[in-house]
Amino acid sequence: MKAESRKEALRYFYAKVVDPLGYKFSPDTELVEFLLDQEVALEQQLESPFCPCQGRTQDHAENMTIVCPCIPFHREHFDFMRRCWCGLFVHKDVTDPDSLAQVPYSEFARRSRDAH
Amino acid sequence: MLIEVARVGDVAEGGMVKAVAGGKEIVLCRTADGYYAVSRRCGHMNAPLERGTLDGPYLTCPIHRAQFDIRTGEALNYPIYQHRHVQMPKGARVASDRLKSLMFDIEMHDLETYPVRVVGKAIKVEVGK
Repeated sequence: MKAESRKEALRYFYAKVVDPLGYKFSPDTELVEFLLDQEVALEQQLESPFCPCQGRTQDHAENMTIVCPCIPFHREHFDFMRRCWCGLFVHKDVTDPDSLAQVPYSEFARRSRDAH
Repeated sequence: MLIEVARVGDVAEGGMVKAVAGGKEIVLCRTADGYYAVSRRCGHMNAPLERGTLDGPYLTCPIHRAQFDIRTGEALNYPIYQHRHVQMPKGARVASDRLKSLMFDIEMHDLETYPVRVVGKAIKVEVGK
């Protein structure tokens, strides 16, 4: 199986999922290529294209929440960062993805608590 | 050898129908880009692919969700054995594990593709000599 063909298919399917959520592929094409390469490798090994930047556990249900695109499972957190955890997707209005920081969930939760 | 397998209008966009042409089982697929024909049986365990789903140029097998590019016939992923993750009674789990061990050695194959031509109202597939 050719990785490039699978990447093209993943791009097609992912775009249909993330577009209605207000996200798009990152303009950083080098990063996108790298992350999709990792996802194809993970899918060939584990059957599902898990997020390459999040650790899996022994809990299947929990692992399913990090199958790309995992935005629906982490919507508030990712909306706060305006990007998904690994940066494959960013909010549609983002033109400079490097300006967006990865904010750990604990920090996001603390800030959310403080805001309320 | 061009063989008529359907008429224009028989297949809606995004749809698939099975057909036999020159003794070969095929699936005629219609996308926004036109018609494509591929071999009917999944390159994994021979499932009838017209019962799967077609999204753009990507056909997904109804059994283990192997995906194929109908433009090239290329298999894009390995089948997914979802039952591996599902909680099930011990007896069923043993049977499932046994089945999985049998399926472990099954190779994935690409699909055959066949040129499609629309001649008047007829949709014809070229299946070789």
